[in-house]
Amino acid sequence: MAFLSTGAGLNPEFQSPLEVSGTTDVITEEAALCPPVGPAVRVTPLVQEDEVVARGSAVACLRHNPEICFTAPIAGRVARITLQPGRLLSEIVLFRDDGAGVETHDPKLAETDAGLRRLMQSAGVWPWLRRRPFGGMPAQGETPSAILVMAADTRPLSPDPVEALGGREEDLARGFGALARLTNGPVVFCTHGDAAPWRSFASGRIQIAERGTRHPQASAGICVHGLCPAGLDTPVWDIHAEDVAALGTLLRTGILPMNRLVRIAGAGLREARRLRTHPGADLRQLTRRIAAPGAHVILSGSPLDGHAAHWLAPRHRQVTVLPRYEAPRRQHWLVSALTETAGAGPAIPTAALTQAFGAVLPAAPFIRALEAGDDETAMNLGLLSLLEEDVALADYVLCHGGQLMAQLRAMLDRIRREYAA
Amino acid sequence: MMRGLWTRETVAALLLAAYLPLAAFWLWMGGVAALGQLGLVALVIGIWHLVFMLLRAQPPSLAALVTALAIAMLAPENLGVFRLSLGVSFGVVMGELVFGGWGRNVVNPATVALAFLGFGFPTFDWPGFDAPVAWAALPAAGIGVALGVLPAALVAGAVGVGALGVAAGLLSDPVLFAAGIVLVLLVADPVASAATTVGRWINGALYGCLVILFATYWTGAAPVQVAVSAALLASLAAPLLDEAALALWIARRRRRHGRT
Repeated sequence: MAFLSTGAGLNPEFQSPLEVSGTTDVITEEAALCPPVGPAVRVTPLVQEDEVVARGSAVACLRHNPEICFTAPIAGRVARITLQPGRLLSEIVLFRDDGAGVETHDPKLAETDAGLRRLMQSAGVWPWLRRRPFGGMPAQGETPSAILVMAADTRPLSPDPVEALGGREEDLARGFGALARLTNGPVVFCTHGDAAPWRSFASGRIQIAERGTRHPQASAGICVHGLCPAGLDTPVWDIHAEDVAALGTLLRTGILPMNRLVRIAGAGLREARRLRTHPGADLRQLTRRIAAPGAHVILSGSPLDGHAAHWLAPRHRQVTVLPRYEAPRRQHWLVSALTETAGAGPAIPTAALTQAFGAVLPAAPFIRALEAGDDETAMNLGLLSLLEEDVALADYVLCHGGQLMAQLRAMLDRIRREYAA
Repeated sequence: MMRGLWTRETVAALLLAAYLPLAAFWLWMGGVAALGQLGLVALVIGIWHLVFMLLRAQPPSLAALVTALAIAMLAPENLGVFRLSLGVSFGVVMGELVFGGWGRNVVNPATVALAFLGFGFPTFDWPGFDAPVAWAALPAAGIGVALGVLPAALVAGAVGVGALGVAAGLLSDPVLFAAGIVLVLLVADPVASAATTVGRWINGALYGCLVILFATYWTGAAPVQVAVSAALLASLAAPLLDEAALALWIARRRRRHGRT
């Protein structure tokens, strides 16, 4: 059956104008430090409003783990610190001020394993890691059973991660070496297409995995599910290859580069762009001159799993601009009462549903377990390896309007509460 | 939020499209009588869908037409309006609507209705099918499998066993025709059949084996009766086959990864 599964997945097409060639570096006039997508984080701000901060310096730390810091994506002045009740981080907005300089860390700290962790946590690399099960960044002393480095992205309109790695092979190798010290298990480099340039990395615990080009074959959760499933006691981390290269640069120079390759695309644009910018970039500034006339909505992330946002989310590498359509006219209340109370309707097991999970798990029983709230079956079928973005394609295909992702999140939260108790 | 189109109603519409060749040939051969039977069954099912929409807020589904076609084609002949309505009502209400409508049912409502009619009124003759109608099941299966709304593994499993049966001389032409039409209309229903790939292969093979068994040892049974009975048993076994296939899948992952 191997030859059947290599082509598994779907390539949903989303309209986007032609891309302007060339990559420019952009630092936006405003930028914000946002919490990573996933469980909310409680923080202690380390700066005051109106204070000038260097790029890469810590502006907040976790309330119960002060070693883990969030760092400034640009050099600038702190404009506004917004916390929600319970000190949940909402956003810390910075005004650009290039004169504030760049924070330098001591790379010698990384000579010991504990020092490496401390450096990653204080320099702001830690929030770029994501753990499974449950999502969010890993705990301070957690040792993963495996780490996946994602140099493949099959989401529609996504940039090619390999392009972001050009000329950074040495830093990437150094980053790999550092990651291998964080785990006793394998460090898997997931790439698609020709893996030949990366063969030199494969040694010892560092492995190469080739993924297909159809979504969701290079979705991190589907890779985790196939290569090294996450469990309650066996967390698996994933990190983008560009971030590993940035970690390598940090270990070489002491300065953490913030730039990342971002693609702006979507039907609401006049022209698509590729640029290097920083996390927390102001999406309105990035899209101001290229948006098509008329109302539009700006998503941080792909059209499948993105969310309307003002700032580029910490791990996101694509921005989608879609025309904003008027909400459809409301039906008569009696028609709504008769036809809409049943929710999104049941999922019919079709080939499209199987392919929406890349044919790696029994899709129909999994969806039924999610809908019914059957935690045990869903965990047996691989729930703990998955996050919302991995079922986003199935949600899109089934026209569930986000209900499937909400069900998955609710189930993960429930399992985490039960496991913690 | 952008949305795809594989909703329940899309699948029902595609199923209908796949069954169009079969329906066209059957109506062409059957004429006005067939059309009247189809209209009556569709009317009864439509009334029940309306009742469940008004009382239970279950939106009606295009799948009602698929069920109507299956029942109209395969129901015993000359039943009369009352008996046919009774059988259709039992099948549609107890087989589908009480579970929450199409997509949440456990067995195919048409299978339930036909089994009810067959066992309830055994004196009425089952219909026979001419070759053109039976051949039209081939494009129906082809379209359904190509669109992904009919499970390919199930059809392949049943066809494989059927081919063995023909090679061994166990299946006569009338049984083969009836079994093919029932396979497409009832057994390959994406909702009530097995939902895992391994389960689908076994489900199809089981249906084929049951048809051969009944055709060989059930003396006096009409071809459609044989096929419908095999479909009912194969459909009832589907959840068990799924459960076994999932247990196998989980065990294999445990062995490979040490966890699921």
